Amino acid sequence: MKILIVEDEPTLRTSLVAHLQSDGYRCEEAATYAQAHEKIKLYRYDCVLVDLTLPGGDGLDLVRTLKADQSPAGVLIISARGALDDKVWGLKLGADDYLTKPFHLAELTARVQAILRRRQFQGHNALRFRALTVLPDRAQVLVGEAPLTLTRKEYELLLYFLANPNRLLTKESIAEHLWGDAADTSDSFDFIYNHLKNLRKKLQEKGAVDYIRTVYGLGYELSAE
Amino acid sequence: MKLLATTTRYYLLLAALLFAAGTAALYAGLVWALRTEMEEKLVTERGYLTPILQRTGRLPLPLGDQRTLSRHPRPAGFSDTLEYDPVGRRWEPFRQLHFPVQVKGVTYWVTLRKSLLENDSPLGVVLSVLAAVLIGLLLSLAALNRWLSGRLWQPFHQTLAALRGYELQRQPATLRLPATGIDEFTELNQALTQLSERLGAEYQSLKEFTENAAHETQTPLAILQAKLERLLQLGARNAEMAPLLRDAYGATLRLSRLHQGLTLLSKIENGQFPDAVPLRLAEVVAEKLGLLEELVSGKELTLTYEAADPVPVRMHPALADSLVVNLLQNAIKHNHPGGTLTVRLGPHALEVRNTGPTLSGDPSRYFERFQKQLPGSPSPGLGLSIVQQVCRHYGFGLRYTYEPATGLHVLHVSTYGLD
Repeated sequence: MKILIVEDEPTLRTSLVAHLQSDGYRCEEAATYAQAHEKIKLYRYDCVLVDLTLPGGDGLDLVRTLKADQSPAGVLIISARGALDDKVWGLKLGADDYLTKPFHLAELTARVQAILRRRQFQGHNALRFRALTVLPDRAQVLVGEAPLTLTRKEYELLLYFLANPNRLLTKESIAEHLWGDAADTSDSFDFIYNHLKNLRKKLQEKGAVDYIRTVYGLGYELSAE
Repeated sequence: MKLLATTTRYYLLLAALLFAAGTAALYAGLVWALRTEMEEKLVTERGYLTPILQRTGRLPLPLGDQRTLSRHPRPAGFSDTLEYDPVGRRWEPFRQLHFPVQVKGVTYWVTLRKSLLENDSPLGVVLSVLAAVLIGLLLSLAALNRWLSGRLWQPFHQTLAALRGYELQRQPATLRLPATGIDEFTELNQALTQLSERLGAEYQSLKEFTENAAHETQTPLAILQAKLERLLQLGARNAEMAPLLRDAYGATLRLSRLHQGLTLLSKIENGQFPDAVPLRLAEVVAEKLGLLEELVSGKELTLTYEAADPVPVRMHPALADSLVVNLLQNAIKHNHPGGTLTVRLGPHALEVRNTGPTLSGDPSRYFERFQKQLPGSPSPGLGLSIVQQVCRHYGFGLRYTYEPATGLHVLHVSTYGLD
């Protein structure tokens, strides 16, 4: 999987690259509009991360170029700009998703995965972790062979963990993943706890080991250990 | 009242007064002149008749006028009198002159009378000509007024229409006003054009500032958050480092949320959300209630949602989202566990009622920025300010009332406008 990261801020770019590489993606970088434009014209990518405010041009023009070339690459806009109305614009132009800066790296992984799933496999892929299998196109979870019935939020939570295995997921990032901007209530952490409790119980009822580890005071981790 | 109509009204009033006074003066003058003329005639007649009377002892037959001879003494001089006219069957005014004449040692009193009625017709003619002139003057003034307001004020109305249609956020260009041949309007248009240029420039710089501020602050925040997240991954198992990282991370999140809220507020204030589309609030409310479902059930709130068939409202989708989420979130956040939350969507109103802590003082102060019910709460206290700004932007009515009897907080948004 090859990802192009178009971001002018070098420190942020290195963080993104490091993070996505640790997820197992091959990453290329572009710091300016011209560089990015050259790369998308020359090479094929599975996913392109585009910052909107770039030296030498507007990231939206890159999205336009990708769409005009009928590129199969998924497009994820990452921007500090506008947040709300640019979002509408970006999606209208054909971007697959939009992430407002600052964002959680775990959220970025989850979004990139979702885009790649939709783009490359038309949804026909399975996510596996030990005895767990998730078929996102059918929204189905299997423990071994046995199907597991989850609520929508429990399912989203599990998917989020599976996108970020062996990585600490902070409560804040889980809350924002599940509730978006509406996560801004301190109570939401209690609800995460409740959802997790139910999810663990359901997993254990089907005989799966409890893979979810609590990292005290910080969050949770889907751990193979 | 229109300017021209007002001035015309005063003109007409003055014209009518002048006419009335003029007519009265003219009437008096004419009457005086005619009477004097009549008296002169009577005196001439006296001079002519006296020698004849003295010679013949008789008066010549009167020609239309009346002449009488009497031996009774009368007050000499001019006087007015009325005489009955058997043909016209009415009393008619006469001017008469009495004077004595000595005929062979006997004093006779002569009375000469002339009808004043003959003078009526020139008077009538004069007066009716005057009336016709006045009516003509009034009518032509009214017509001139209409024509002037149509023609002379046309540039003014064009300017007015241009001002009404001028929307800074839609086309932050200068106001385009047609050239006029009238100095006052040209000056007005110049002043307005300059004003719009200044406004446009201010707006542009404010917009750029907001955008740059958003970008320049969000980017370091994004870097900070990304680095802290990497650090968290590394330091999560370190008992000493973990709480420090957690606190730093939490503070970054709060800062970025605060920043997003403030940026959104200033963008609404700058009117940077011009693209309103018709949308159904019921769908937005249903979607957000779905999203917040757990927060509602987690606090064991009793949720009641009533939606009448609502009329679509014209809003920017993002602002509609923001409005609804902030209203609902406010109602959930400041609720007792086990309380109630009632959302009512009428044809032109959205009402959110919820139980919550007792309020003293004016609830509308929570519309101010950074006003929160719990001073230590990590939320920046911008939710209701955003709600207020969105309502103001679209001219919606917004009321926050607290009912002490039931302990209910009611937020009422009327999409009709202020009620």
